Amino acid sequence: MTAVQDAGPGADAGGAEGAPPEGTSVMADLRSHLRKSKAGIAGIIICSLFALVAVVGPWLPFLPDPSKQSLPDKLTPPVGWGGTWSHPLGTDQLGRDILARLIDGARISLLVSVAAVIIAAVLGTALGLIAGYIGGRIDTLIISAADVQMAFPGVLAGLILVAAFGPSVWLVIIVISISSWMVFTRVGRGLVFTLKTTLFVEASELSGASSRRVMWRHLLPNLVSSLITLSVLELAAAILSESAFAFLGFGVQPPRSSWGLMIQQGRNYITDGWWIVTFAGLAISVVVLGVNLLSLWLQSFNDVAEREQIILERPGG
Amino acid sequence: MLRWLAKRIIAAALVVFVVTSLVFVVTHIFTDPATVSLPLEATEEHRAQRRAALGLDRPLSTQYWDFVSGLVVGDLGESFWQSQPASKLVLERLPATLKLVAGATVVTVLLAAPLGMLAAWWERRFADHAVLGFSMAAISAPPFWIGYLLIIVFAVQLGWVPTFGSAGFVSLILPSLAIGLASAGRLSQMTRRGIVEELRKPYAVTALSRGFSRSYTIVHHTFRNVASGFVTMTGWELTRMFTGYTVVIEVVFAWPGVGRLAIHAIENRDLILVQAAVVVLATLVVVTNLLVDIARRMIDPRVDLA
Repeated sequence: MTAVQDAGPGADAGGAEGAPPEGTSVMADLRSHLRKSKAGIAGIIICSLFALVAVVGPWLPFLPDPSKQSLPDKLTPPVGWGGTWSHPLGTDQLGRDILARLIDGARISLLVSVAAVIIAAVLGTALGLIAGYIGGRIDTLIISAADVQMAFPGVLAGLILVAAFGPSVWLVIIVISISSWMVFTRVGRGLVFTLKTTLFVEASELSGASSRRVMWRHLLPNLVSSLITLSVLELAAAILSESAFAFLGFGVQPPRSSWGLMIQQGRNYITDGWWIVTFAGLAISVVVLGVNLLSLWLQSFNDVAEREQIILERPGG
Repeated sequence: MLRWLAKRIIAAALVVFVVTSLVFVVTHIFTDPATVSLPLEATEEHRAQRRAALGLDRPLSTQYWDFVSGLVVGDLGESFWQSQPASKLVLERLPATLKLVAGATVVTVLLAAPLGMLAAWWERRFADHAVLGFSMAAISAPPFWIGYLLIIVFAVQLGWVPTFGSAGFVSLILPSLAIGLASAGRLSQMTRRGIVEELRKPYAVTALSRGFSRSYTIVHHTFRNVASGFVTMTGWELTRMFTGYTVVIEVVFAWPGVGRLAIHAIENRDLILVQAAVVVLATLVVVTNLLVDIARRMIDPRVDLA
């Protein structure tokens, strides 16, 4: 919170907590802090690796087509369990290459989760700003909605919406974002409460700035660093939710692939093809671990112990 | 206390009311059970017939009144797929889900409390890092995948426990573990943090300087002060279990609970039954939150929960 007092009107980043020494930018501070944190380095490496694979996946030269079936090669074990390097992680029940399918699945799994978190962050932050700054009845309304949302977590909303409209990727994005917006609303609102009484906000109000200008130009920039930390934390939850929805068959439909869907399709082969389920789940776990490490580091950098408490102890999700 | 309790109960009832009304909006305004139950290529005539049969052609206000008054007496409509009262079907499955949640809670508490204490006892030493490693792994792996790994190792490879179904106590072990590990991962870190903070407080420093061992101080002095937070967190883990974990884990282990019923109901286009399952699970979440508040207040009367 110390940055709040330091930041002048319109200062663009509330990131550097604890009064950084003169002349250091937020980025430099971040870098020096990163050098001290093994978890942060591991998190960044894992996350960038997966992001890269998701982006360039289809153009990787040595990979077979993820949807090419070859029944004679079905259920080939991975290298080390009797397999060959032509299918390093083995093949599934239709003879499709597991590694290629994992890389293909990364796109959908990560795209859905990232999209959902962005929607939740934008919507939730906007509501939090309004609730915190305007206050009064609007605040009561928004915060009650957030409380009700807490009692009605995503999976239940997912069940009822899928039953009503049938499965689709868009539905999964919507369900994940409606189960996460209130976290941003609550944190954003709490921060705005403390910011509202600071000198620079009062100064801009006295100089005649409109509410919209105060929220957009003065409050929002001071929320950015906490909200980014929060988004990373929520991303971990979103990837897990996406995989669960895909596993239940609520999201992408075959022949498209996603990690959760691979587990659903591979579960009938756990006796003679354990590698399908194992590697798909490993991919989810590793990427979520990477995101969790990244968020652990961001939290230690930008001490949000209080807020972390809110998130860790939030029901549902 | 009574006044506070009454207020909390009314608030909880209000949340249940709002949530169920939202469910009604989705199931009766955005779509309706008749449309969902019929294939896409059904004729409009056929649809109208089905709507009339289910009473869906009446004004929405009448339907809503029926829905709400039904809720009060525990009538959640008639399942289309099984031609039985939906509430009966859901309540039949409820004990299995509750058993699973109970098992998972036991796993969570039995793992989280000792691990948290251990990590705090050896703060910043190997055990602390090992517990952190366990926690990170447990919260990063999807519970349903943990379920399959447990099946692969303990049921398929070693053959120690049955793979599926709910035959007695033994079959409860793997699903409870699959659910409980993630909760234990979060809870053990929270316990550790709580104890470490408490150990820096004057009363704990006094106890230590009077010669009580670190372990004695943790167990007899600090843990009591962390207990209220521990109970709250356990309660929140319970709500996670009711609404997320049990659904997927029941599918993995073919466990005959409410979550799996809901999935089957979706497959059979039975919107009424899905609605009933969701209403019951959401109510359980609200009731759990209420019980947690009461328990917290009883453990630590200082907590003002108005």
